[in-house]
Amino acid sequence: MFQIFKEHKGFSKQIFLLSKSELKKTYKGAAIGPLWALVKPAFTIFVYWFAFSVGIRGSSEVAVDGVGDFGRFIFMVVGFTAWFFMSESITLGSKSIRQNSQYVTKVAFPVSTIMTFTQLARLYVHLFLAAIMYIIVVFNPQGGVSWYNLQFFFYCPLMFAFFTVLAWSTAPMAAFSRDFENAVTAFMSGVFWISGIFYNSYDMPLPLLNKIMLFNPINFFANGYRNTFLYNKGFWENETELYIFLGEFILIIILGIWNYNRLRKRIPDVL
Amino acid sequence: MNQSPIISFANVSKEYVLYKNDQERFKALFVGNKKFKKHQALKDISINIFPGESVGIIGDNGAGKSTLLKMITGVTFPTTGSVSVIGNVAALLELTAGFSSEMTGRENIYLKGYILGHNDDYMKQLEPDIIEFAELGDYIDQPVRTYSSGMRARLGFAINVNLKPDILVIDEALSVGDATFRKKCHKKINSIIATGVTVLFVSHSAESVRDICKRCIFLKKGKVVFDGETDAALRVYLESKGQVKKMGPNAVPIGKPLNKK
Repeated sequence: MFQIFKEHKGFSKQIFLLSKSELKKTYKGAAIGPLWALVKPAFTIFVYWFAFSVGIRGSSEVAVDGVGDFGRFIFMVVGFTAWFFMSESITLGSKSIRQNSQYVTKVAFPVSTIMTFTQLARLYVHLFLAAIMYIIVVFNPQGGVSWYNLQFFFYCPLMFAFFTVLAWSTAPMAAFSRDFENAVTAFMSGVFWISGIFYNSYDMPLPLLNKIMLFNPINFFANGYRNTFLYNKGFWENETELYIFLGEFILIIILGIWNYNRLRKRIPDVL
Repeated sequence: MNQSPIISFANVSKEYVLYKNDQERFKALFVGNKKFKKHQALKDISINIFPGESVGIIGDNGAGKSTLLKMITGVTFPTTGSVSVIGNVAALLELTAGFSSEMTGRENIYLKGYILGHNDDYMKQLEPDIIEFAELGDYIDQPVRTYSSGMRARLGFAINVNLKPDILVIDEALSVGDATFRKKCHKKINSIIATGVTVLFVSHSAESVRDICKRCIFLKKGKVVFDGETDAALRVYLESKGQVKKMGPNAVPIGKPLNKK
């Protein structure tokens, strides 16, 4: 039942080392190495900002109910910081077992830790980006320093945990069938547009849509990061959002344990 | 023998599912494996191996030798029955498994140790022996991607044999580096065997098996046909291939001995 926890016990040092090696692997052989982790998001943000503030004029401000108006740029920077981590966690998380298949088919290895150490490697990049985002926020007239910023230490670990647990389901399934892996990738290419990364997801024209948006966990974190750095709102203030998220988290934990346990022993034979 | 076995197979069977295509595989994700065609690799195997024994495993291709070894190393799992293995297993099968090509040889020694569940202190203790055995010189601090395949294999072999295993699994098809290094490997293997670890030896060569093992298990189509004295096992094996003659110096028709001393 608790195979995953057993596999992690006493393996924390190894997980840490493997995450370091995973990080090295990602940026190997590039002259500016880790700076690539910054170039891609910076360019992406620029392109979106250009399209929506310069291209489609008149939408350079984002109105947030009960908080105020925010410049599109600062609004996007905060949302995107969370988004980059989430989208990579979902797509690469689902591929993690297949990409590390040598640990499954060649040696006896606690397979569930693969999801943890690959996710940990992504967390390092995320912390680096979050630090840069914070500098931008602090010097932005609409940002500044606030006690609410400390909520980062609530949202960030929760985000790490949520998407690691999600990979307990997706990684074994993607290792088993490439169709599932492709389905995840295809799904993710659209998810961005139905999540409130560069628009406010809780400002829909229909009240029903506003409710539906609460069920997207990506909104919970993108909005949470903005609560932390822009809105100066506590995570407890939107109770419905918090409870829906926690409900989903529990569901994903149960699904993750179930999927991992039923597929663990079948994976070495199909990889 | 009233000692308890170090490796024990109890009524172990292993089925591999044969998916006709990717659609079937996708379906199997949701409905389980029941409806699909299967290949039975091992059928109701029961074996006990005791500490200090050297056991040869012989059989044709497809007899189930690799599956058996994979279960001992903990990579694959039985469909029914149970396998229990006590102690560290060092498998001289996939020597370079788990290497990270961006990290140096020295870092990889630790990485491999971690993967196999050892800690820092233990690896620090073994590091000099491993480096000396691998004969990589200054390359030990270079990234593994700059290594030739022979160098990788040497490092892999050096790590595996120096981990002081309780059980050593050797596949004779293994070849590491040039003739001099191979000789060194064989010497090392023999010295490990002399320390009294449990050895499992897979080979096509009757002669090498006879050299190393007192006991021999003959597998055929997933079943244990014979389990006992090496000479008797080899006789049964050769008989079953229709190659029985008198056991003599030229009764080694299959494969060729990798390295005669």
